[in-house]
Amino acid sequence: MSLALLLALPFIGSVIAALLPSNARNAESTWSAAIAAAALVRVAVMFPQVRDGGVVREQIAWMPSAGLDLTIRVDGFAWMFAMLVTGIGFLVILYSRYYMSPSDPVPRFFAFLLAFMGAMLGLVTSGNLIQLVFFWELTSLTSFMLIGYWHHRADARRGARMALLVTAAGGLCLFGGALLIGRIVGSYELDVVLGAGAQLRADPLYRPLLVLVLIGAFTKSAQFPFQFWLPHAMAAPTPVSAYLHSATMVKAGVFLLARLWPVLSGTPEWFWIVGGAGLCTLLTGAYAAMFQHDLKGLLAYSTISHLGLITLLLGLDSPLAAVAAVFHIINHATFKAALFMAAGVIDHETGTRDIERLNGLFKAMPVTATLAMVASAAMAGVPLLNGFLSKEMFFAETVYIVSNPWIAWGLPIAATIAGVFAVVYALRFTVDIFFGEPSRDLPRSPHEPSRWMRVPIELLVLACLVVGIFPAQSIGPVLAAAANPVVGGDMPDYDLALWHGFNAPLVMSVLAMIGGALGYAWLRRQLARGRFRRAPIVGRLDGKSAFESLLARSSLVARHALEFLGTRRLQPQLFLLALIGVLAPTAAMWADGIGWGPRPRVPASPEFVAFSVIGIACAIAATWQATYHRLAALTMLGVVGLVVCLTFVWFSAPDLALTQLVVEVVTLVLFLLGLRWLPKRVAADDARPSLRVRVRRTRDLVLALVTGAGMAALSYAMLTRPAPQSISPFFLDQALPGGGGANVINVMLVDFRAFDTLGEITVLGVVALTVYALLRRFRPPRESARLPRQQNASQGVATDLVHPRTTPDTLPGYMLVPAVLVRWLLPIAGMIAAYLFLRGHNEPGGGFVAGLVVAIAIVTQYLVAGAQWVEARLELNPLRWIALGLLAAVGTGAGSIVFGYPFMTTHTAHIEVPALGVVHVPSALFLDVGIFAVVVGSTLLTLIALAHQSLRGRRLAAQAADEIHGPDAR
Amino acid sequence: MEVLIALSIGVLTCCGVWLVLQSRTFQVLIGLALLAYGVNLFIFSMGSLSVGAEPIIRPGVPADLLHYTDPLPQALVLTAIVISFAATALFLVVLLASRGLTDSDHVDGEEERP
Amino acid sequence: MSVSSMPLMPHLIVMPVLLPLVAAAALLLIRESRHRVKAAVGIAATIGGLGVATTLLVAVNHGAGPAAIGIYLPSNWAAPFGIVLAVDRVAALMLVLTGAVSVAAALFSVGRWNRAGVHYHTLFQIQLVGVNGAFLTGDLFNLFVFFEVMLAASYGLLLHGSGTVRVRAGLKYIAFNLLASSLLLVGIAILYGVTGTLNFADIAQKIPQIPASDRGLLHAGAAILGVAVVAKAAMWPLNFWLAAAYSAAAAPVAAVFVILTKVGVYTVLRLWTLLLSAETGASAVFGSDALIVGGLATLAFGAIGMLASQQLRRVAGYSLIISSGTSLAVIGVGDATLIGAALLYLVGSTLASCALYLLAELIERSREIDAAPPIREHESDRLPFRLENRDTLAESEDDGVRPGTAIPAATSFLGLSFVACALMIAGLPPLSGFIAKFAMLSALLDPNSAGAPARHVAIAAMRTTLLVSLLVSGLLSTIALARAGLRHFWAPHDRAPPRLRVVECAPVAMLLLACAALAVGADPALRYTREAAQALVEPAPYIDAVMSATVVPGPAAALPMATGIATR
Repeated sequence: MSLALLLALPFIGSVIAALLPSNARNAESTWSAAIAAAALVRVAVMFPQVRDGGVVREQIAWMPSAGLDLTIRVDGFAWMFAMLVTGIGFLVILYSRYYMSPSDPVPRFFAFLLAFMGAMLGLVTSGNLIQLVFFWELTSLTSFMLIGYWHHRADARRGARMALLVTAAGGLCLFGGALLIGRIVGSYELDVVLGAGAQLRADPLYRPLLVLVLIGAFTKSAQFPFQFWLPHAMAAPTPVSAYLHSATMVKAGVFLLARLWPVLSGTPEWFWIVGGAGLCTLLTGAYAAMFQHDLKGLLAYSTISHLGLITLLLGLDSPLAAVAAVFHIINHATFKAALFMAAGVIDHETGTRDIERLNGLFKAMPVTATLAMVASAAMAGVPLLNGFLSKEMFFAETVYIVSNPWIAWGLPIAATIAGVFAVVYALRFTVDIFFGEPSRDLPRSPHEPSRWMRVPIELLVLACLVVGIFPAQSIGPVLAAAANPVVGGDMPDYDLALWHGFNAPLVMSVLAMIGGALGYAWLRRQLARGRFRRAPIVGRLDGKSAFESLLARSSLVARHALEFLGTRRLQPQLFLLALIGVLAPTAAMWADGIGWGPRPRVPASPEFVAFSVIGIACAIAATWQATYHRLAALTMLGVVGLVVCLTFVWFSAPDLALTQLVVEVVTLVLFLLGLRWLPKRVAADDARPSLRVRVRRTRDLVLALVTGAGMAALSYAMLTRPAPQSISPFFLDQALPGGGGANVINVMLVDFRAFDTLGEITVLGVVALTVYALLRRFRPPRESARLPRQQNASQGVATDLVHPRTTPDTLPGYMLVPAVLVRWLLPIAGMIAAYLFLRGHNEPGGGFVAGLVVAIAIVTQYLVAGAQWVEARLELNPLRWIALGLLAAVGTGAGSIVFGYPFMTTHTAHIEVPALGVVHVPSALFLDVGIFAVVVGSTLLTLIALAHQSLRGRRLAAQAADEIHGPDAR
Repeated sequence: MEVLIALSIGVLTCCGVWLVLQSRTFQVLIGLALLAYGVNLFIFSMGSLSVGAEPIIRPGVPADLLHYTDPLPQALVLTAIVISFAATALFLVVLLASRGLTDSDHVDGEEERP
Repeated sequence: MSVSSMPLMPHLIVMPVLLPLVAAAALLLIRESRHRVKAAVGIAATIGGLGVATTLLVAVNHGAGPAAIGIYLPSNWAAPFGIVLAVDRVAALMLVLTGAVSVAAALFSVGRWNRAGVHYHTLFQIQLVGVNGAFLTGDLFNLFVFFEVMLAASYGLLLHGSGTVRVRAGLKYIAFNLLASSLLLVGIAILYGVTGTLNFADIAQKIPQIPASDRGLLHAGAAILGVAVVAKAAMWPLNFWLAAAYSAAAAPVAAVFVILTKVGVYTVLRLWTLLLSAETGASAVFGSDALIVGGLATLAFGAIGMLASQQLRRVAGYSLIISSGTSLAVIGVGDATLIGAALLYLVGSTLASCALYLLAELIERSREIDAAPPIREHESDRLPFRLENRDTLAESEDDGVRPGTAIPAATSFLGLSFVACALMIAGLPPLSGFIAKFAMLSALLDPNSAGAPARHVAIAAMRTTLLVSLLVSGLLSTIALARAGLRHFWAPHDRAPPRLRVVECAPVAMLLLACAALAVGADPALRYTREAAQALVEPAPYIDAVMSATVVPGPAAALPMATGIATR
């Protein structure tokens, strides 16, 4: 089985486990155990390859272009970790089969457990820093899922989130650190990095990258000051805790430290930060552990302190210490896993984990009790057990360290004190619960667990014993293989023996034992008196609440910041847009500035001056009136439009003038139809503007003036530049020969830039559709529900054009004459439209103008004769007009594709017509037809949809009348 | 002449911007319309303006910008007119709908809370 | 893949615009009551669009150098006189992205939303017309036109389903965009006035020849244009409309809107690289600094917004803002490797945000009973005129709010999809978000590309800031998304598992699978985006390809048409 497959195995297993039915506990556990066993075997057989410094590599190209490949790299150290991950994983799965209750949704459990195993496996075997970060974050994620497994419990949710955020944040720092390393070394491959220690330590970026990497490791391994998340992760099911907090998750941090030990260690920064953090963690953890009342809580804090011990060892900068660290990693994994499982058994069988309530369980469960006591003895470092050996090595390191006197003396003392604490909490874990008067009031009556639930514990305890008694024979080779890569090849000489003669470490051990015993006796009395519900001093600084409040505060701050930095109101947004629209160009042209060009000015003529002035005046007047006198504003606006139109005429742009004119008319009709539904504003409605409002208005005014001035300056500069280089002459050249039309503008629209025109009519159509869709759901304001005065005035005198009496909406009699007259408008308008349309290509006009003219003519019918009368006679389907128009336009364009020319290529057929001579028929003509149809359709749809609201208005008026005084009032 | 054009563009823009910044939907509508006029004139003024130049190709007149008006800006303005007309129509209807649904003609659909 | 070298399908380049346009017109001819047919046509057209886009991408990817750029001359006029459509690697990538997002949205909308109002599918197709056109065009004014098409359709879609919230949001959105559009017009006008041309490539060529007296005007025009475009790309402080409007829109609409900001980003990228390469000196530096600072501000704003917002839709909106900010800042820094990585990131984040919008609706609906039902048709809704008779929703056929056949393990589907979205947005492994982020960060750290020596320090400082803010924003989004996830999935509730419809889950799954695929095929993807970025940074081949594209000559005889045809 290739290594890649080994890596993939747990994930595949996880997916399959997730798909199994939710009640298949046995199938789940068997399957998962099989996976774990397979992985375990695969890893185990690698030992010969790695035992003497060998490295097994396997590389899969993933992103060579980014210098990132999937490198699986197993040396002794990685192998040892892989063994822990798979081996203890196997035992945990076995154990959880009996621990999980049938009611728990097990597929999720085993799926995530396997996924976590896979992530952990990938982490320890990754031969590439980025790959390591990748799996690092993956472990954070999967552990989040595992810790929050019982997510109906608030503590589980909180614990999971805390673990996730703390470790993921650390992961991001580690990410940064890895990137820095890669930048300095020039590669992310572990082999390269391990070879570049000197270069790294010499680099100016060494400190920042060290700090980043260490934050990553410390958060993961719950080192001071990030230790607070670990105890709360105890909300997880006990098998999860046994797995995460003995062998895997929290070991990842120290794994990283050991992995990079040859590269990063050996500097004062390393010594002080790593050693310091380790020492603090060691002491605070052990101290807090003594005062716990929850079995798992006690184990959690002891885990913290043991991790601190390992970190401290790695911080000591001596190869021997590193070896000791590796050794203790193994030992701690074994006995701590056993202890967690034992705690789980007790919890499972008695229904509580409260040390106060648990007493004299020895009678009920002798075997479990024995196992637990042996394991906790190993934790306390009692001889003949593996914990003793590594602890001895640790003591030795603290004693023989060469440093300033403070440390030379302080460290051994601190170590001894930690040893004392360890003994105390070990005693609490055993004596308190297994001896004394058997407790009565337990939720369940305790008894031995089922056979197989105990097996994993037995195996682990056996390991503790074997390693403790025959270290050299049992663990020796493994330790050698595992420690070798950590110290970078040159192994210090050490001997794993039970008896090193009578020396300082032994004295320290003995002191620790005695002190521990005494301390326990004293503490027990205090606790019996009900003192120390919580660890003095340390118990007060509660990382959890600090973390939670930090989260809460951060999102609160964010909310305030958002209110400050953003707004939901429109006016500030528009103001900012306008402001930046002025500032940006000003800043951009600051360097060069703009000036007036020498181009000869066009002499002003009095007429032009006259109507420009009128236009300007009207614009200002419209602005003035827009607030309260809408009709007035509208009229002024119309005048402005006409002046613009005249300007176009003046500068010989007849097409523009024509278009502007018809558009003006349509816009005006539209606005008038709309005003009907916009209740009148009267000045009295508004209170006198507050100071704030007045300040804002002046601010707006200033901005508006500046913008206007800017635009004026820009256009003046543009107008007075010498005649610009331009591509336009080409169009003048080609219009007739190429475009087949004398009216350059029209040729541009339907030929040169026909693609624009296509988009333009699309816009027109879409807007019409939007208007229509919106108006179907139109709810008129209540104020405008009642009919306008004019229509009320002449109730009853309705002279109906269609069928007398019944029609609700036809305007009263006095409209009869105009109605009849206006009917004649239709054919005339049609003729004008046809004329404009046909001459379009050579003279001002074209499909657009023609379309608007027709639309206007029809709308006029609506205005004077009423919707029903028109629709009784005129078969109108604007939607179809739009659709067919678009299709005609596209079809014209597509036609040229058929002949192998690009879209919208025009061809001009010159056809001999008797009496008329040669007639140019450009294919663009059909495009113009499309334009015409779309314009008619869109304009009609918009106007009619709005006009029809009057019918709805009548309905509403009727309803209103009914509500007021009964249906028969009308 | 240029001064006048520039002035009118300036005034139109100024009025437009001022109105757009106001709180009543109708003001914004008129503002956008005025702004559109201003912008269209601005685009138009990009071509070298001249009085009495030919807009239509006449045989015998040399095809250059001295004898003809610059067709490109005119074409652009034509498109711009249509699009701004569509935009105005849409905005009008939306403001009507907003007035009907929110019972307020404030641009935020509700009077601002001081 | 220039027109000549690709004999069979030169016209494919224009198809991303034509196909949806024709579909839209055809949809108008189908009666509203036959909404199944409409949906079928709409979806078919959308999938077809995706197919066309993919073909184009493959084609440009096979070509090399100038051959990797497809040029199309509508109306058969040579550049710079006619309008030019150009598809290079970036454009093709954006087209494919649009296709993917739109297919997902279109499928999802069949669930219920396409019947919340009339002409949904027509508006949808025209939205695609605008977006694709904006990606393809190589002409400044044509860009404006397609922006307008895009916006007009987006107005319609945003208001789709009507209702107070949407109309309120729509009014602001429309007003803001209209003002922005007039800015855009002014900018375009000035650029035309100064350079005398509208074609991107031609402008790039003309700029060096601009006399010193006109530089000021040129820069002013460019700046105004820039403001208008970054407003569409949602740069702070011009992006307050985004979160509000998008969370008011119907879910599939918001999902397709995801691409709109990308149009802005793409335009900045395109114009920026073209004009900046031609324009050097103080103003260019000013521009790039403005972009970087603005982008960083946007990034920060987005992160803060994410941290502050509770509803998923808003979270998604701010994730979009984060993505815009990142892209803009990167463009400002502007070295090829970085832009290449950013393009990969852009693709991933777009897919993820799109999925999140769809997911948000499903989750909300599974929380409350029938959270967002489409407004039903009322008699009073109909306009009482003739075309209504042909054009009303037939209640009988309308199965809008049928709860739908429950898919198995709905809750776990929602949960896993949400986790996937979160991973993508926060840039955590194992999905492509992490890889793209890694690529960007390592590009930022790459010592070889430290920028112009003159401004070495400034650039380095900005690179560092960008690097840090990328990491921090990742953390903040992790926090926000974890909180959201806990509240929506782990909060204790005893309600029946949600009933989801396959048509609504399939798109989400599809998008997320695409993200996974991006992670697996990270190498080819990254190579593609890097080559795309390279082509952007060195635009000479693009300019050549555009300016040298030849019109199809018109052999009059060859045309089987009426006698006496004269063709150019």
